Amino acid sequence: METKTLTPPKSGSGSGRKSKAEPQSTTKPSDLLTPEDCLEMLKQLYLARYFDVRLIKEKRRGRLTGTLYSSHNQEAILVGSLYGLNGTDWISPIHRDMPAFFIKDLRAGWDNPDRLGMSIGEVCAQVWCRSGSPGRARDNWSHIGSKSKRIVHSTSMLAGTIPVAAGVVLADRLNGGDAVVLTYNGEGSTAQGVFHEAINFAAVHKLPVITIVENNMWAYGTPVELECPTEDVATRAAGYGIPGLIADGQDVFDVYDKVMVAVEHARAGKGPSIVECKTFRAYGHGDHDDDRAARYRTKEDVESGRSRDPIAICKIHLVNKGYLTKAEAKKYMAENKHATQTSDEDFPPDVVSYMSKGIEFALASPPPPAEEGAMWVFREEN
Amino acid sequence: MAATLDPVTTKTNYLNALKSAIDEEMGRNPDMICLGEDIGILGGAFGVTEGLQAKYGTHRVMDMPISEAAIVGVSCGAALGGKTVMAEMQFIDFISCGFDQIVNMLATYHYRTAGEVAMNVVIRGPAGAYGGGALYHSQMNEAWFCQSPGLRVVVPSTPYDAKGLMKAALRDPNPVIFYEIKQLYRLSDIAEELPEEDYIVPLGQAAIRRAGTDLTLISYGQNVYHCLDAAKKLEDEGMQVEVIDLRSLVPLDEATILESIKKTNRALVVNEAPRTCGFAGELVARINELAFEHLDAPPLRLTRMDTPVPWAKALENFVLPQVDDIVSTARRLIRY
Ligand SMILES: Cc1ncc(C[n+]2csc(CCOP(=O)(O)OP(=O)(O)O)c2C)c(N)n1
Ligand SMILES: [Mg+2]
Repeated sequence: METKTLTPPKSGSGSGRKSKAEPQSTTKPSDLLTPEDCLEMLKQLYLARYFDVRLIKEKRRGRLTGTLYSSHNQEAILVGSLYGLNGTDWISPIHRDMPAFFIKDLRAGWDNPDRLGMSIGEVCAQVWCRSGSPGRARDNWSHIGSKSKRIVHSTSMLAGTIPVAAGVVLADRLNGGDAVVLTYNGEGSTAQGVFHEAINFAAVHKLPVITIVENNMWAYGTPVELECPTEDVATRAAGYGIPGLIADGQDVFDVYDKVMVAVEHARAGKGPSIVECKTFRAYGHGDHDDDRAARYRTKEDVESGRSRDPIAICKIHLVNKGYLTKAEAKKYMAENKHATQTSDEDFPPDVVSYMSKGIEFALASPPPPAEEGAMWVFREEN
Repeated sequence: MAATLDPVTTKTNYLNALKSAIDEEMGRNPDMICLGEDIGILGGAFGVTEGLQAKYGTHRVMDMPISEAAIVGVSCGAALGGKTVMAEMQFIDFISCGFDQIVNMLATYHYRTAGEVAMNVVIRGPAGAYGGGALYHSQMNEAWFCQSPGLRVVVPSTPYDAKGLMKAALRDPNPVIFYEIKQLYRLSDIAEELPEEDYIVPLGQAAIRRAGTDLTLISYGQNVYHCLDAAKKLEDEGMQVEVIDLRSLVPLDEATILESIKKTNRALVVNEAPRTCGFAGELVARINELAFEHLDAPPLRLTRMDTPVPWAKALENFVLPQVDDIVSTARRLIRY
């Protein structure tokens, strides 16, 4: 299989535990996607992008508090990794992955109340710090989750949710389930001890833990080469005897292919994988960092890092496949623009209205009553 | 505390009391699992989980890689997935390697999910000094966790309580940090007959180990026995001292402390943990808030010096509160 980049130790001296190569096949998982699937994935890319640009604009107008960690230019990682999951699979997103909360199981129908993902309204209520948030605005921004929707609740502690993700699929396995979990991490976070501790445990027990590394070249103000001693993070997988795959994080179908290989591997009881998605952080670390980021990164680096917009690349594939005409591809031009240069006309109207309804839901939701600050420290009864 | 080890008896020691609690809860709750280093094949460094893997299988009693962070984090995830988890720290000193997972992940889970997710997790492990365990096998670090809202903190001092509190902890929907006093594990002097039938000791209820009218000694864990020994000596001098064993620090049984001080008008807290920001300091503050008008003397604390626990016996004795220190401080307070 062309997509399966197992990464054995370079020296080739490692004994015993090498994974056996899968039988060669020319069909990639994405080859089996229908035209509807492919168009849906493009639409999800627009939605993720629109969510982000809309929040950037709202934030600039002073309507939001807290820090916005933009996922601009990294949307293909979210859409591509989530598209092939079952609703009953778990995910564990972090700060840069806010669209993941509502893109999870979106395939089951944007307005399907039974789908196993958050509604965009709930996510907006969280961003607007309202009681309609799944966490009732107790922690900020991406720090939400849902047991019923199977989303591990994120915290600030980088890499800290990987062992939790391992535990939740352990419980699922003990209960006879076949769920996998996708955990999302920046490349900087892979320097944490718990990253190793959790993957080591999951590998020992062949738990279905897929660690997605969003390698956007920067961890706040620190470049990747000061976080990771190796060219690729994925090569670390060899140390655990698990597959390490590398995806083009700008290409939604390549991400889909690599993640689906990992998902099938995990679901078959063969254990974890690391899927490194190469990408580039579009703006500052958070919106508070935009000005400084313009100084610690060169203009040329930023321009080249953002030159492969995932929406544009997806469209090229769809045109090549014949699912989209060139004229249709030019209809909504959200790609290759700074958030502030986009307008609503750059997005499909149903994407805009979907987000707008989410915001309406948020604004209709009252702030949490003050006394809730002292509630739920303990659970009083079982 | 002279120890005579393992005589033939129908009495149950502290360690076996814990073991039977975990065993019985595993039996009655098919959703309970145990995670820890060397707890399965070996049966635990001290043997608290001996026989459990053979009885319940490798899926329910898992030998974990040496990673306290993974043990705690995986426990959180398993609890998120509906399990009840007993997680062992081989020594409570090593809990610091899982600290972030405890204070930021486990302790806050219920709070930050607005009550959506309960963490049925008990983290237990051998604790306490007075045994020559030196710096890293002697700690009582309970104050770290008492300061992390969302955690219950429990320290039993008798076999009866060890079993009853362990069962209560395993049934409590909140995370519990459970301090086992390793010097008491096999101490036959405190072994006792335990009820045949199922029982729990509710969290948040102190026990009065000895009644008295002249002074209230407040402690938990091993220090309870030091207080009882001191009380005997003081009795010889004509002073009647009340001894409270807190058993659980969070939640704290303030009522029992208050009632006792109303009677004795004097209080001394005894605690083997270091002085600064220790739980003893918290108790003295609470006593001031709760019972100031009943006090005839300043409430005091006797603690370890602000040092690590050293190895050599003379050094260890020097930094830890001893029975004689309790006696002399108690005398001073009673005559105040
Ligand atoms: C344990 C911990 N240490 C430090 C931070 C502060 N911090 C938040 S995000 C971040 C950079 C993360 O970089 P990376 O993992 O590459 O993710 P990215 O932001 O690039 O998506 C840092 C240092 C934190 N949240 N948690
Ligand atoms: Mg990064």
